[in-house]
Amino acid sequence: MEGLTALALAIALLGVGLWTLIVRRNLIWKLLGLNVASNGAILFLVALAHRPAARPPITGLGPGPSADPLPHALVLTAIVIDFATLALALVFVIVLTERRHTQDVRRLERDEEHGWPER
Amino acid sequence: MKPLAALTVLGLLVLLGLGASGLLPRPELPLPEHVAAAWGARNLVATIVLGVRLWDTLFEILIYAMTIVGVKLGLRPVRWEGAGPPVAETPLLRRAADLLLGPVVVFALYVATSGHLGPGGGFPAGALLGTGLLLALAKGVERLSAEVYEPTLEWVKYGAIVAILALTGVVLVLGRKGSPYLIAANLLMTVEVAIGAWVILHRFAKSRGEL
Repeated sequence: MEGLTALALAIALLGVGLWTLIVRRNLIWKLLGLNVASNGAILFLVALAHRPAARPPITGLGPGPSADPLPHALVLTAIVIDFATLALALVFVIVLTERRHTQDVRRLERDEEHGWPER
Repeated sequence: MKPLAALTVLGLLVLLGLGASGLLPRPELPLPEHVAAAWGARNLVATIVLGVRLWDTLFEILIYAMTIVGVKLGLRPVRWEGAGPPVAETPLLRRAADLLLGPVVVFALYVATSGHLGPGGGFPAGALLGTGLLLALAKGVERLSAEVYEPTLEWVKYGAIVAILALTGVVLVLGRKGSPYLIAANLLMTVEVAIGAWVILHRFAKSRGEL
């Protein structure tokens, strides 16, 4: 995939993810949106590392420019943290669903204002 | 609370502006190729992750371990009431898991040990090994929990974290360099990431009533 295509795809993913994150009322959908947006950010960083006709950032593969290794190293960190925080957020949603029996943000906020219904 | 938050954000913005303006002195950065040669590695990304930005990687591992502890503690009191039926176990799935588990583990070890020379490294290898454990999950959870004792696995994980801390101490404080350190760090990271992924999957399966 060429750099510009990847950049456009990354920005589209970011947009879709942030839109889902803001507009959807279900917490699971919000987390999905957050994950799509962060994958867009990851793709954006990888696309930034692209150079025309570049080889992978490994020495000894021949002449010519190599892709920028720094964004790759950044992304490696981001992917792992992404996975771990998503798992933790899902756990919080599970606990919330157990206690409040809803994943609807608006309902949770309304209950927060008017007091939790007895169960 | 609000003034404090505003002050923090403002301070961060000022720091960012200072960093971008070029007023602060910048360290002379060596070429990545030279750093890789000094470390005896060919993969520039591995050199950056394990050599130049080792502090960053260290704290990333700690964050990862903390989120796993959070998953464990958060899911402890939870057992879903309306859990669905257990995942169907087909002979095809079980046979494929039996056949693939060994090669996946061997490939993960290969990726971990050759990560400083080519594509690979500790995190991809850990993800591979974690996926291999997911395959083992398809073998049937009861059989698996009879084979793998989770508390021991977790002690192995904490041991791996302590070993990574010791290794980073040797590299950061004593300034040692070389490919043996990269290989050891990659292997330890593989263990840590794979066991973390396994604990997360195992806990989710358990809370769903699969165990």
